[in-house]
Amino acid sequence: MTAHEQWKQNTSDPLGLGDLGTIEPGYDGWDQVESALQNHHDGQQRWRRLGSWMAVAASLVLVISITLRNTENQISTKPSTPEFATSVTKFASVPVQDNIKALIGMSQNMEQQVKKLRQKSSSMPAEFAIYVAELEDLIAQVDNELSLAPDSIDLWGQRVNLMLDLAQIYQQQWQIDYGRMASL
Amino acid sequence: MMMGSGFDIDLDEVTLAGAKRGDMRACEKIYRKFHRQAFTLASRICKNRELAQDVTQEAFITAFRRMHQYRGESPFWGWLRRVIVNHAISALRKLPRHEAIELEDYMVTSSAGQERLGQCMDLEQALTQLSDEDRIVVWLHDVEGYKHREIAKLVGKSESYSKTRLNRARGKLRALISECDQQPLQNMTHDTTLSATV
Repeated sequence: MTAHEQWKQNTSDPLGLGDLGTIEPGYDGWDQVESALQNHHDGQQRWRRLGSWMAVAASLVLVISITLRNTENQISTKPSTPEFATSVTKFASVPVQDNIKALIGMSQNMEQQVKKLRQKSSSMPAEFAIYVAELEDLIAQVDNELSLAPDSIDLWGQRVNLMLDLAQIYQQQWQIDYGRMASL
Repeated sequence: MMMGSGFDIDLDEVTLAGAKRGDMRACEKIYRKFHRQAFTLASRICKNRELAQDVTQEAFITAFRRMHQYRGESPFWGWLRRVIVNHAISALRKLPRHEAIELEDYMVTSSAGQERLGQCMDLEQALTQLSDEDRIVVWLHDVEGYKHREIAKLVGKSESYSKTRLNRARGKLRALISECDQQPLQNMTHDTTLSATV
C-alpha cells in the first residue's frame, strides 16, 4: 500500500472499522431462498397460463359473436323466397350448432376456473365483493333465460363473457394475495 | 483494494446471465459467493442476528426476482449491496422504537472476539452502542465507501445531516473506546446481557 493509499484509508476509516472483518452467518439458508424463488416462478407460470387461456377464451367468444352476427345479417338481408331461405338456413344451422357446443364447453371450463380461483382467494375487499355479487346475479338471470331457450347462442355467449369477467376479478384478488405472500 | 465488508467480489458473465434467466444453480452460486458478506453488512446495520438473517434472505430473494433490473452498468456487487442496505434500513424502520437489544444477541464469531466479549468494550461492541442512524452512516461511509450524497438518499435526509451524523458517530465511538481503556479490567463485569436501546 502506498503512502497516499494509507493516508486515504486513514481519513476515510480513521477508526479502522473496516478491520473488523466479516461475520460468520452460522446458517445456510439457501433452501428457503430457493423455495421462495421456486414458488415465485410457479406463481408466474400459473398466472401466464391462466392469462393466455383467458385471452384465447375471449378471442373465441369474439369470433363466435362476429360469426353469429354475420349469419343473422345474411338471414335477415336475403329475400324471403322459399328456396333461397331454406338453403341459407341449412348453411347457417351447422356452424351455429357447433358454436353453441363450443360456448357450452367454454362456459363449463370457466366454471371450473372460477371455482379454483374462488378456493384460492382469501376474503376480498367490499368493492370486489359487490362486483362479484352483481356478476353472479347476472349469470343467474342468463341461466333463467337459458332454461327457456337452451339453444340461444347469444345467451351462451353472454354467459361466457360474464364468467370471464368473474374469473378476472378472482384472478386479480388472487394476484394481490400472492403478492402479499411473496412480500412476506 | 478490498473493502471492509469484502463485498467487492467479481462475478462472471455466465453466472450473471444464468441468474437472469432464473437458473437456480447460477442463483445458488451467487448466493454462496455473497452470503457471508451480505450477512455481515446486514448485521452491522441491524445489530441483531435474527433480524440480519431475515434481511439477508429477503434481500437475496428480492435481488434474484429483480435480476432483470440489473443493467450491468456498474459492478454486480454494488447493485446487490444496495439491495441489502435498502432491506436492512427498511427492516430497522419497521421495528418499534427503543426496542431493547441484548448484547448477548450480538454476534462475535472469531475466537479472539469471544475472548474479548465481557472483558472490555471493543470497537465492535462500541458500534452496537450507537443509534441506528449513527451506525448506518458511519458504517456505510467508513467501511463501504458510500458518499454522503448516497447515504443522504438512503436515509432520506440531507448531505449535511449525513456529515453531522458521521462526525458524531466517530466521536462517540472514540469516546466509548477510550472510556473502556481508562477503566481497569477487574471493574468490567462479565455481564453479557447489558442492554442497549435502538
